[in-house]
Amino acid sequence: MLPTELLMFRVKAGLVQPKRVKPTPGNLALVAALSGVFESNLGNKRFQLEDDLKALEAGRSDYRMVRGLAHLLANDCAEFGTGGMIEPSVVRARVFGLAQAHPPSRARRGAILEQAARELSGELAGERPGAAPLSGEEALELLYADLPGEQTLTAFAPLDPAGLLQRFELAQAQGMLYRAYNLVITAHRNDPARYKQLLKYTKLFGLMLTVEGDAEAGFTLTMDGPTSLFGGTTRYGLALAKFLPALLHVTRWDLSAALKPRRDLPWVDSSDEEWSFQLSSDDGYVSHYAEPKEHDSALESGFAERFEKLHSPWRLEREVDLVPVPGGVIIPDFRLVDQGGRSVLLEIVGYWRPEYLKKKFELLRKSGRSDVIVAVSERLNLEKAGVKTADFGERIMFFKGVLNPKKVLELAEGLARAS
Amino acid sequence: MTPVLKYDRGTLAMYEVPEPVSGLFTWDARSQLYRARGQLYREVSEALRAHGAPYRDEAAAFQKLELIFARQITPYLHQREALAAWKAAGRRGVVVLPTGSGKTLVAQLAMGATPRSTLICVPTIDLLHQWYSGLLAAFPDANIGLLGGGSRDETPVLVSTYDSAAIHAEELANRYALLICDEAHHLPSDFTRVIAEMGLAPYRLGLTATPKRSDGRETDLDTLLGPVVYHKQPGDLKGLALSDYREVQILVRLSLAEQARYDGLIATRNAFLTRMNIQLGSIDGWKQFVMQSGTQEGRRAMLAHREARALAYGTEGKLRVLEEILGNHPQERSLIFTDDNATVYRVSREFLIPAITHQTPVKERHALLQAFREGRYRTLVTSRVLNEGVDVPEASVAVVLSGTATEREHIQRLGRILRKVEGKRATLYEVVTEGTSEERVSKQRRGQWTPRVQAGPIWENVNAPD
Repeated sequence: MLPTELLMFRVKAGLVQPKRVKPTPGNLALVAALSGVFESNLGNKRFQLEDDLKALEAGRSDYRMVRGLAHLLANDCAEFGTGGMIEPSVVRARVFGLAQAHPPSRARRGAILEQAARELSGELAGERPGAAPLSGEEALELLYADLPGEQTLTAFAPLDPAGLLQRFELAQAQGMLYRAYNLVITAHRNDPARYKQLLKYTKLFGLMLTVEGDAEAGFTLTMDGPTSLFGGTTRYGLALAKFLPALLHVTRWDLSAALKPRRDLPWVDSSDEEWSFQLSSDDGYVSHYAEPKEHDSALESGFAERFEKLHSPWRLEREVDLVPVPGGVIIPDFRLVDQGGRSVLLEIVGYWRPEYLKKKFELLRKSGRSDVIVAVSERLNLEKAGVKTADFGERIMFFKGVLNPKKVLELAEGLARAS
Repeated sequence: MTPVLKYDRGTLAMYEVPEPVSGLFTWDARSQLYRARGQLYREVSEALRAHGAPYRDEAAAFQKLELIFARQITPYLHQREALAAWKAAGRRGVVVLPTGSGKTLVAQLAMGATPRSTLICVPTIDLLHQWYSGLLAAFPDANIGLLGGGSRDETPVLVSTYDSAAIHAEELANRYALLICDEAHHLPSDFTRVIAEMGLAPYRLGLTATPKRSDGRETDLDTLLGPVVYHKQPGDLKGLALSDYREVQILVRLSLAEQARYDGLIATRNAFLTRMNIQLGSIDGWKQFVMQSGTQEGRRAMLAHREARALAYGTEGKLRVLEEILGNHPQERSLIFTDDNATVYRVSREFLIPAITHQTPVKERHALLQAFREGRYRTLVTSRVLNEGVDVPEASVAVVLSGTATEREHIQRLGRILRKVEGKRATLYEVVTEGTSEERVSKQRRGQWTPRVQAGPIWENVNAPD
């Protein structure tokens, strides 16, 4: 992500458009040059690296892009360390302590540094025999070695140039959300939709999700936070920005965010009451968050494989439905659809700790849905976890070892007929 | 079942709201429960108790403290009055007192009178340190910590910057019963007001010299902290001791050798500019110059330009003067102030004088100031980041290494730190560069410049006006 001052965007009729970058020869050359500056400064001080970066940016009208790319390289690809055998704070205490004997004077500086170096070397030799003694110049060098600018670039692992440009584009788009106070995602019908990871990140960043719609028509997802209830707040903008790369793994969606306009820029229309930022899964942004796994567990992937072999008229869809429940949303593992459009949801409960088990069944019960089949491993002791299976009537089935798709289909047929 | 009041990420949450407080809560369909802003905690609790409505409080996680003063300071009348007014207003509200009138002591007295877990918010790292050391001195046995400036403590007495407290607002909101906001006019901004909005703290104290904000939002303080409960202007306060000190301005100019060097550098640069037909006056000209600095010749011209500018800034000359001043006051406690961090570290490296900047870790800064107070370190160098009433330790010599001109106001503020030592008057030196050398050179050519031989006391001011 990027600091606000490095964001690049246009505003047209209240619509913000973040900077896009193509892997043109010029851009790729710029990335290569920047990576080169980092590489050639391995082992150098941070201020030397920054001087070189400044020289590279000098005279370029796209200096903001140069700084943005350098920011991403420094934050995501580089490591900085203090180095040295002795803590700079220890060196400072010794040097300043010795310097108190006389009024401050540049003439006495060398002698004080030498003396401090001798004393520190003596102590170091006691702790680490054979350590090279410190010189006066080295003591001076260490004096402020812990300042950010004095830190040493110790490691650099660059992204491939096209990858860095993608990261830059995404960071620009994320930056648009810093000032978001309302965010609505329209998720279109698709299989697999990959909603589970989205839900995980929503919780991770302390956001709240409200869902409307159904699996056929698609869903409207509103994201905000607890205090949004009392009026639009940009409090959750940073969390929404962090969440965006997770959304990119969902397959088909549009996003629309309402933003608080910037007032501090001379070129914006100060009469704008609200800005809007719109994005869709077709915009070509690439996430750097890990791709979600296709299945949560071997239990599910095994079931999907066996189901395929049945060649049944029912089709199996993965993570396509969002079932709103009070205080949250559940995403059943599978949805079964027959040719007539009848559908049944399937939740496989394999390995859960008792307290989660209870919560899960509570949510399933609260959802009020009568089209959910719950397949439970016999290894689980539901009674001990305090789950009342009677609430689920015929919709609950137990399995030993592997879940037999035929049995699931029988139950699905029954449920579909009844509805 | 007894209704339960819970805390959820900056809000109060109840599944079932007793009648007396139903107007304070909003139905949240997303979570199927009722929510209210954290700041309504006191109102909710008081209403429930007044109606004898049974409920269980699982929201507040305040702590009782034992705060015992380890040093006795007799408060001034205005400090006693401010405390009394705040207590009479139900331990809520804003106290307006002029800079330098001891607002911190009012807060410490309020803490002593309200011994509960306390969050203190301050706008700058300098104030962070000041409050930390002040609280350590007042309540040495209390568990006092810092949030911001490189620290992330979780203590029942926590001093935080506004920014850090806002970032962590959800985690802090239900842990502190007393919220103190120093320079409270900072609080109502968009980013930081959540500290008060999410916070459950039933007791709140705002301190400020100037509640006014340019956006007019100071009225929001009424709901965020409470109304103004005590207000005094500088003229209202009698008996506030301001130190008297002598002020000396020293003008620095280039030595003859430096002047010759400077002229040579400028000639080198100008020859290049003339040949390239670049005029520096315009923005375009500067851009052309920068672009040309890629060539070998251009680079030499650019380096000459930079060195000339550094010379004109006169740092070297100021350091010569600094060395002289420090030599003249070998036994006195001296503070050196500069405009920028680069100069702080240059002074520190060249003279081996301990330095304090915003990059100094707060605890190291505390140790440095402690050593200075105790006399183990006689001299400190720091950047001029003392804008909002920061206490600097007492010193009898202050040296301000300014750019070209310094606001009087700032100098006067520094004057307050100076104390008479053994009957000897304190001295504040202001070391100033005498215009830019380029100006001077041009004046010299036109015969308008006459060298001033004696740099010395320009004026003396016995009592710094407020």
